[in-house]
Amino acid sequence: MISRQTVKYSLRNLNKQKARSFFTILSIFLGIATIFIFVSFGLGLYGYIEDLTESSSADKLIIQPKGGTLQMFSSNVEFDDEDLEAVQGVSGVYGATGSYFKTVEVKAQEKRLYTLLISYDPKNPLIMDTSNIEVERGRQVRSGGKEVVLGHNYGVDNKIFPKAIRLNQNIEINGENIKVVGFFEEVGNPQDDSQAYMSNDYMEELYSDENLTYLWMIAQVDLDNIETVKERIERELRNARNLEKGKEDFFVQSFDDLIDGFSNTLDVIILFIVFIALISVAVSAINTANTMITSVLERTKEIGIIKSIGARNSDVFGIFLFESGFLGFMGGVAGILLGWFLSYLGGLLLGFYGYSFLQPSFPAWLFVACVIFATVTGAVSGVWPAVNASQVNPVDALRYE
Amino acid sequence: MKNEVIIHLKDVAKFYRIGEKNMVKAVDGIDLKIKKGDFVAIMGPSGSGKSTSMNLIGSLDVPTKGSIYLDGKDISHLSESDLAELRGKKIGFIFQQFNLIPNLTVRENVMLPMDFQGIPIWEMKQVAEKILKKIGLGDRMDFYPNQLSGGQQQRVAIARSLANDPEVILADEPTGNLDSKTGETVMGFLEELHAEGKTVIMVTHDPDLAKEHARTVYWLKDGKIEKITKKRVK
Repeated sequence: MISRQTVKYSLRNLNKQKARSFFTILSIFLGIATIFIFVSFGLGLYGYIEDLTESSSADKLIIQPKGGTLQMFSSNVEFDDEDLEAVQGVSGVYGATGSYFKTVEVKAQEKRLYTLLISYDPKNPLIMDTSNIEVERGRQVRSGGKEVVLGHNYGVDNKIFPKAIRLNQNIEINGENIKVVGFFEEVGNPQDDSQAYMSNDYMEELYSDENLTYLWMIAQVDLDNIETVKERIERELRNARNLEKGKEDFFVQSFDDLIDGFSNTLDVIILFIVFIALISVAVSAINTANTMITSVLERTKEIGIIKSIGARNSDVFGIFLFESGFLGFMGGVAGILLGWFLSYLGGLLLGFYGYSFLQPSFPAWLFVACVIFATVTGAVSGVWPAVNASQVNPVDALRYE
Repeated sequence: MKNEVIIHLKDVAKFYRIGEKNMVKAVDGIDLKIKKGDFVAIMGPSGSGKSTSMNLIGSLDVPTKGSIYLDGKDISHLSESDLAELRGKKIGFIFQQFNLIPNLTVRENVMLPMDFQGIPIWEMKQVAEKILKKIGLGDRMDFYPNQLSGGQQQRVAIARSLANDPEVILADEPTGNLDSKTGETVMGFLEELHAEGKTVIMVTHDPDLAKEHARTVYWLKDGKIEKITKKRVK
């Protein structure tokens, strides 16, 4: 075990070679800071996903055209009332609704913009459950009412319009003056927070000259048998749409499926970034080993001296291992401080730009783990030089100049 | 007690291989017995084997053949770590070039040998300060070696050699890097230690120094003992 005096001796040595110690620490701390930043954001996202999984969305199934929401405007797959009835008739389905999606022009305060207008059934607002949001101010729309509920950002100054839209104010959507009856709470990403919602009935009235079709159908199902119900829906819908098994033009997804897909992608991205950061840590470990090898060479005579006054091989080994471990430790501490600062700043900036769901998480174990990891990496890189130092022959070392 | 042998080299040889074929016989069959409390000088010109002898006596090195006994115990085949522990306790080294640790203060330099013996820090401090005061460096304890003169540095080295209260003080050309006046002071300290009962072994190439201070002088030549002279104590 290394004593207080030898710790002092080691620290003085590191201090004497300030520039070399500084650059060694720098190389470690950049890698650790990168790992810290990505893991803290990754944890934040996992936490967000966990919240979603535990929310009211768990017992919902979403039926979409194949290709997913990204292809919502190019897909020629459409659902009509017959399809919806087919879903509603499935055993284990407690209720199902459809939603229309339209890109519309919104005009207020002399400013025009395009956004997504989504309809829902106010009597059974399942789509709200899937987004896990509620009306924050005002109320839900009423069936057939010439009313709209807006995303959170409309109610905030300088987010969408220079001045916040007020409750009961009229807003122009595709040339129609429609009353704003509510605002949803913040979802945390600018797209969702700038959407507008109205009732299916009123959307049909607004687009009476078009044959509207549903882009999404959402079913509330028996959670305990969700997989069976999912298969039943697929079968019924295949029959209703005259499709063979395996050639479906739609897919039924549970929220778990969605989350799984998202989590898996997230896992891969985070693992990839952490892997890149690990390469930089490996480079810094080589750098530390190099620093320690140089230090052993420079201090060969000193090793001879301390051996002549009674230092055992294990004492010499301990001194050099402590030094490399300490370099790692300092790199780790600096790394978590920089990482924490940048993640915190990143979280603030993302929140400011509307991505409040993308927030870092700072559990205590992350700080501890990063410091331990850096210290162990430093110590491991110092093992070989420390072994060399401990095996120096004192007679040769004392003659070394 | 005075007649007890503390170090015994029995037919000790140390050979070094240089290149593929050449073997240098640095020490070639030395027999010597150093008694407790003696003041011994190992004398000889350069290449006579005195440095190698010092390394062997100081347990810094192990012999190619023969045996070395320290306090009756054969140390010829001990591991490097066991030797380190032994010399830490029993032998105090004083080098020609002082060999202090530049990053440590005078006090810390003296504390270091005690540290390797696991002595508690308060005791290390107490002992170091006591020795340094005794050697006249009580006001230099927080100085670094490079802030001291050569003579002062050698006195710190003497203080360090005494840290673990060893039985043997091994001095390798202790005055070699000092002017004659400072050299005398240093030799005065060694005399004092001898008077206190320590066994002092000094390696030197200076016959006058050997004759003046040592009670027993081993004259080496070509790795062998050429003669042994003893001074009659008045």
